[in-house]
Order: sequence, then structure tokens, then C-alpha cells
Amino acid sequence: MRQLFIALTMFVYFAASIAQAAHTQVQLLLSADTAKPGDTIWAGVDLKMDAGWHIYWKNPGDSGIATTIKWDLPPGVTAGEIQWPLPEKLPPAEVTTYGYENEAVLLVPLTLATNLPLGPLVLKADVAWLECQEQCVPGKANVEATLNVGGENRISADATTLEAWKSKVPQTNAHYQFEAWWEMAANDSTRAFVMSNLASAATKNIKLDSVDFFPDASDQFEIQAPTEIISTYSGNISLRKSVKKFSGDWPRELSGVIVIEDGKLKFGCSINFLVADKAPTGGTTASIETLSPTLPPQPLWQMLLYAFIGGLILNLMPCVLPVIALKILGFVSEANSEPRRVRKLGLIYALGVLLSFLALAAIVIGVKTAGHHAGWGMQFGSPVFIVCLTTLVTLVALNLFGVFEVTLGGRALDTAGALASKHGAAGAYFNGVLATILATPCTAPFLGAALGFAFAQSAPVIILVFLTVGLGLASPYILLSWNPAWLKFLPKPGAWMEKFKIAMGFPMLATVVWLFNIAASSYGKNVLWLGFFLVVVALAAWIFGEFFQRGRKHKTAAAIVTLILLAGGYAFALEKELNWRTAMLPDTSATGSLKESADGIDWQRWRPEAVAAARAAGKPVLVDFTADWCLTCQVNKKTSIEISSVREKLKSMKAVALLGDYTHFPDAITAELNHYNRAGVPLVLVYPKNADAQPIVLPEVLTPGIVLSALDRAAK
Amino acid sequence: MKKVLALFTTLALTASVFAVEIGKPAPDFTGTDINGKTVKLSDYKGKIVVIESYNSDCPFCHNHYATGAMQELQRALAANNVVWLIVDSVNTKNFSYRTPEQARAELTAEKMDVTTWIDDHSGDIGHLYDMKTTPHMFVIAADGTLVYAGAIDDRPSPSGDPRTAKNYVRAAVDELLAGKPVTVAQTKPYGCGVHYAN
Repeated sequence: MRQLFIALTMFVYFAASIAQAAHTQVQLLLSADTAKPGDTIWAGVDLKMDAGWHIYWKNPGDSGIATTIKWDLPPGVTAGEIQWPLPEKLPPAEVTTYGYENEAVLLVPLTLATNLPLGPLVLKADVAWLECQEQCVPGKANVEATLNVGGENRISADATTLEAWKSKVPQTNAHYQFEAWWEMAANDSTRAFVMSNLASAATKNIKLDSVDFFPDASDQFEIQAPTEIISTYSGNISLRKSVKKFSGDWPRELSGVIVIEDGKLKFGCSINFLVADKAPTGGTTASIETLSPTLPPQPLWQMLLYAFIGGLILNLMPCVLPVIALKILGFVSEANSEPRRVRKLGLIYALGVLLSFLALAAIVIGVKTAGHHAGWGMQFGSPVFIVCLTTLVTLVALNLFGVFEVTLGGRALDTAGALASKHGAAGAYFNGVLATILATPCTAPFLGAALGFAFAQSAPVIILVFLTVGLGLASPYILLSWNPAWLKFLPKPGAWMEKFKIAMGFPMLATVVWLFNIAASSYGKNVLWLGFFLVVVALAAWIFGEFFQRGRKHKTAAAIVTLILLAGGYAFALEKELNWRTAMLPDTSATGSLKESADGIDWQRWRPEAVAAARAAGKPVLVDFTADWCLTCQVNKKTSIEISSVREKLKSMKAVALLGDYTHFPDAITAELNHYNRAGVPLVLVYPKNADAQPIVLPEVLTPGIVLSALDRAAK
Repeated sequence: MKKVLALFTTLALTASVFAVEIGKPAPDFTGTDINGKTVKLSDYKGKIVVIESYNSDCPFCHNHYATGAMQELQRALAANNVVWLIVDSVNTKNFSYRTPEQARAELTAEKMDVTTWIDDHSGDIGHLYDMKTTPHMFVIAADGTLVYAGAIDDRPSPSGDPRTAKNYVRAAVDELLAGKPVTVAQTKPYGCGVHYAN
């Protein structure tokens, strides 16, 4: 009888402590059998689900409901908040939830008052949950456990289980601290933000297998389940998430768990961050590529000074030099005119430059407004632009050779009076425009910094900086025309000028060859048809000059032949054969060496991942952002990068060399350039061996000494 | 593969941007009801329409019907000429799928007072309205504008009496009938996930 009673009591006790709903078993675990008054022990509500069934996290996600624990505790015992172990993100995609499969132990700290009487205490809790598989079933259980309050601490058999689950509860971690910003203005009820960890918090920059963010729940909004991973480098985790707002203002502060997966390791860190209205560095997207410094803002006056000096130096850059020939000619031919006229032509030239810069600024603002990246010289990424410019410069060369006449300054050589004044003005204006167009693929010292600054600014500042560059470019000629006395230093006009003019046609031809080479990178072997077209254009120009302009008879026939040649050449060579408006861009996803010669630098294609991988391996990295159309870059490469001393240095320090080809203006490189406050190439970076150190940014114009000393510093 | 995944998540992110928006015209749909009749949302233009995403086995839906609270609301709104459409997006393989015959029996047994019950086992309407849960409620004004989307009430629980809660659908319809703007236009829906076809 007595045995039966014990068995019955045990059965009742058992039934009370392990409640079973349809598919979930619950029991209450305590970390201690005996505890002293004043102690805090851990209680664990252990939920075991049948295979295929799950219960929900504190934020259930799109559906479901969080598990609740309602305590029934004796006086003197207080329960804290539930500590939730890291949940799983559960499918399906259209109704994503956060929850637990198989088993979860929800942990709660229980604090014992210091004046708690000694003896056994029964701790009770009502646990309610929703279990789901194909359908959902609400579950409920009353669980209890006994704790002995005494003069000592004795841990329970479940203490290790509870410790194991406690280690799964996300904690804050100094290495995972985030900042975030809205990506667009709030117009709909859904808005995306980018969250990115603060670079300074990272120790190593390794690529993680996966990263996700599980948000805390809110009644006012919901952070939607899909996560767009921008970067999984531990030093620069960047995610894009979307918020759906139900009511109230857009949240300024968000919290949740960042979930890191790396190999077998999976853990969560509890995070809490502010959401700013704008991206921190002025960029439109997170600078995801590498850990890099955020440059301090520079004062406007300094940038305007840089812009002016940069514009001045542009006159000496290889891109603009051919135009200088035209300008010299123009000035010489006007030297003996009256000062007022010279002054006027100088101003008209400046006007041509300034209006062209204004047009460039307008294009940049337009491109930026449309939400794209803008960059200096970006039109050189357009094959159509290259074809037009090649044709134009060919015509300029032919004109200088005297094949035909246009209303350039040269025409004024032997004519005088009203006609010349008209032609001279138009010529000066055209010179200004051409100088600007040709200047864009070059950045000069100082100019890079000024433009990089301008591209991230508001429209008025962009216009101001661009106009200042133009002013710098035009200033020598304005000065010269204002002080005609200085023109005395130029030689007297005479028959030599015809010869000089023809000689100056050759730098123009060189420019054509350079442009032709850029076109080749877009059209490949088909660029032959562009060459063919140029020959037809040259023939047409000759017929026009010889038989229409200088001829006496058959003028109409000459004009018709000229038009037929131009139209036929265009239709056949450009439209039919070259298919010039739909150039194929080269495949830039291929990997492998981009070595230029057998003993050349072993260049690899630049990708953000390549930088991070090399840095993670403890190797210094040389990055050269270049473009086929960037003459400064080509000069840098020839004089200071692809040279034997640099090659040997790179080899001896086991550095990785990465080449970023900006010829076709890829967005990833624009973003990287913007990140370094640059608007265009060249940009050469040297990342030190020490992965925590910031990269060294080299100046626009290089010497072997600059490159070698930067590499020396990087090797340390 | 990674690119495809990235594209997919981007699409998922953008898709949610183009989901139904409060204050915009509620997208039209065509479905078949449990009597085999074709039902179009635009058929009810000029009337207030309530849409309920429904699954009778979901304990949240079940509690609203078992307590009689839902039927009470349906009757009250029907008296004011409000259309009530049940949308059941449970896929045919799921335990909770109801054949038209079973659904007709359930409609009678539960004394549901609704305009009709649309069998949306393809999930087309559910996806169009981005229905997450059962019950997920929508209120459309007489001019076709979506004025409310979200939970049925402020009491996310599968048990107890729903009449003690603030019912957002009743409040929205009352405000529409009174010619007032809807105060609570959007809330987070609660309940079971919709069991869509894969």
C-alpha cells in the first residue's frame, strides 16, 4: 500500500514536471540544487519538439508567436528577463520566421532575496507556445522544480546543460558594433537601410561564410527577413535590410542579433545601433571593399585653390598639349592686331573653356541625380563618344595639313578685316571647347583632390569647383591677351607659320592614334572599320577642300560626292560593319594574370575580395587604378611602376599587385575612387603588410622614388 | 550561383517595395470561389470590401470563430452593406486544405456570414497582397483604395475572448462609414504562416 502511494505520488509529480502538448515536451531545469539567500541562479525552460516541429523566438518574424513564461514564485524570489539562445531563420521565403527546431532552453535568472528563509522552495511557471509544422498548435504547460535554500551552494545535474545553452545566448561584443543609414528618402511604407560594422572594431579582416541580422520585434515596424549581403569581411560586414513601417516615425535606433557563420562556428552578437539619414562618408553605398580611412573634410577655399592650380597644370598634361599647338598659332597670328581684339579673343577662348566646364558640371550633376556614380573622364568609357572624338580630331589634323579649310584661327592668316574677326572668334571659342574635352581624361596634380572633393558635394559646389578648374586652364591665355606686350616674346608672323601649322598636325595625328587605341578596347579587331571610316572621311575632306572650296568648276558635283562618301562610309563602315553603337564590353570577371610581358609585374585583376584575401594572408598590396584613355596613368606606368627596380622590390617583399581597369567605368571602381575622395584615375594605393594599417595613397604623378619608398614603408 | 542568390535577394527586397500600399488602389484580382463562381475584386467597386486571409486549422483563426466573435463582426458589417471575402491560400497538399465541398460544409457549420470564400490554393491572391499570416486582414474603401492592412486586433493570442480587444477592422470600417480618415491604417499581422504552394 505504501509502495503504491509512493508510486502514485511519483507519477503525479512526474506528470506535473514534464508536461506534454501534442508535439512539445517541457521541463523546468535549475542550475542549483541548493543555493544561499542573496544568490542568483539560472532557471531553464527546456522545450523539446518532435522532428519537423518548431517554436518561436522573441521576434517570431512574419508569423507565429513568441513563447511566454509566466512565473508563480514564492515571495523573495524574482525572475529576470528571458535570455533567448540564437534561433534559426526558418523557411519558406514568403513567410520567414525565427525559431527553434528540436530543442531550446530559454534561460531566466532567478534572484533570491537576502532574507529568504532556509528550506525547500517550489518554483512554478506557466509556459505557453505555438508549435508549428504543416499546421500550428498552441501549447501550454505548468512546470515546476524544487530548490533548497540553505547555507551552501550545490550545483545541480542540469548545471552543465544550462551552461551550454547560456553560451548560445548572444552577448554584446566590442568587435561587432554597427552604424547604419537609410538609403533613400521615406516615400513609401518600405525603406531600405545599410548596416555596416565600425571598421575600428575589427581585428582581422577575413571572409566569413555568411552573415545575417535577426532584428528585435516592434509593433511600429518590421525589419523584413530578406538580407542582401554587401560584404562578409569580418572587418567590414555590410548588409542591406528593408523596413516596413506600420505606424509612427521611422525608427532611429534598431537592435537585434548579428549572426556570424564561419566554418563550423556559428554565433550571434547582440547589437544596437543608430540609423542615420545619410551614408557617413558622402558615398551613396557602403564602401564595402576594404577597411579604409575616412578622410577628414577639407575647407572649400583650399579645394578651390587646388582646382585652380590643377587647371593651370592641365595645360602641360599630355592630353591637352596638342591643343596648345592650336592656341600658340592663334596667338601668333593675332599678335600684330590691335590689343583690344587680342583681348577679346583671349576672353572668348576663356568663355569656351568655362562654358564647356559648366556643361561638364551639369552632366555630372545629372548623372548624380539619376543615382549613378559620376567620375572625371567618364565619357571616355563610352565607345560612341570615342568614335565621334576620333573623327573630330582627324578632321582637325587634316585641317592643319591644309587639306581643307574650316573657320579655325588658321584661316585668318592671309585674310583680314571683318571676315577674319568673325572666324577668329569662332576659332577661339572652338579651341576652348576642344581643350576642355581633351583635358578630361587627364587628372593633374592637385586636380584629383579638388575633383574628388567636388563630386561628393552639392550642385552649387560642383559648379564652382568645375568653373575654377576651367579658369585655371584658361588663365595663361587670358593673362597673355591682357598684356599684349608679352606677345613680343613670340616670333613675328610670316611664311614659317604655314609650316608650323602643318607640323602641329602631327601631334593631332598622335592624338588620333591614342583615341583609336581606346576604341580598340571596345570594338576589338572590328576597330579596323573605324580606321576605314577615317580614311573615307579624309578623302571626303580632301575632295571638299580641293574641288569645292578651292575649285572653280563642278562645285556642286564635289559637294554631292563629299556627302555620298560621308553617308556611305558611315552606313557601311560604322553602322553595318562596326555596329558602333553597341560595343561589347570586355568580360571583366575572368581571373588570371594580366602580365604585360614575360618578366613584367604579375598583375591580378582588382576585386575587393582580392585585396582582403591578400591582406588576410599578411601580404602587402599594390593597387593601380588605371584606364586605357588615362594618359597620366600610362606615363606613370612607364616611368615609375612597370620598371625593373619596382618589379624586384615587389618580388622580394612578396607583394600582390592588383590592376583596376577603369577604361569602361565599372561602378565598383568608381565607388572605390570616391571612397578615397577621388573622381578619376590615376589612383595608386599601397596597403602595408600589417592588415590593421591604412593604405598609403600615392600622388597623381609618380616618380620611381615615390613608389619605392611607399613599398618600403609597406613592407615594415 | 552567388550572383543568382544576390539577384534573388535583391528581387525579394524590391518585390516587397512594390507590395500593396496603404492609400493606393488595391490591386484587382480574379479568383474562383467554393461554388465555382468567378470572383473579381472590381465587381465590388462602390462597396467597402474586407479581405480575410483564412485557414480554419490555424488556432488564431479558429479562436476568432470558436468564440463567435468573427461571425458577430461579419454580421455587423454585412448589415452595413460591407463585402467580406475569405481568401484561403493553403496549398492542396497541406493538411489544412479544404476541397470546395469541405469548405461549403465548414462555411455552414461555422455560421460564417461572408460574401464568399475564394479558393486560392495557387497562392496568387495571397502573394499579390503579400499575405503573411492567417488571419491577415485588408480593408478597401468604396473607391477601391486600400485603407487598412494588418492584424485583426491588438490581441495576438490563440485563446481567450477576442471581444475584449481593439478590433482594427471594425474601427477602420466604422471610420469609413462615418466619412472619417482611418486612424490605424497599418499594423503587424499576427497568426500562423500562410501555407503557400511551393
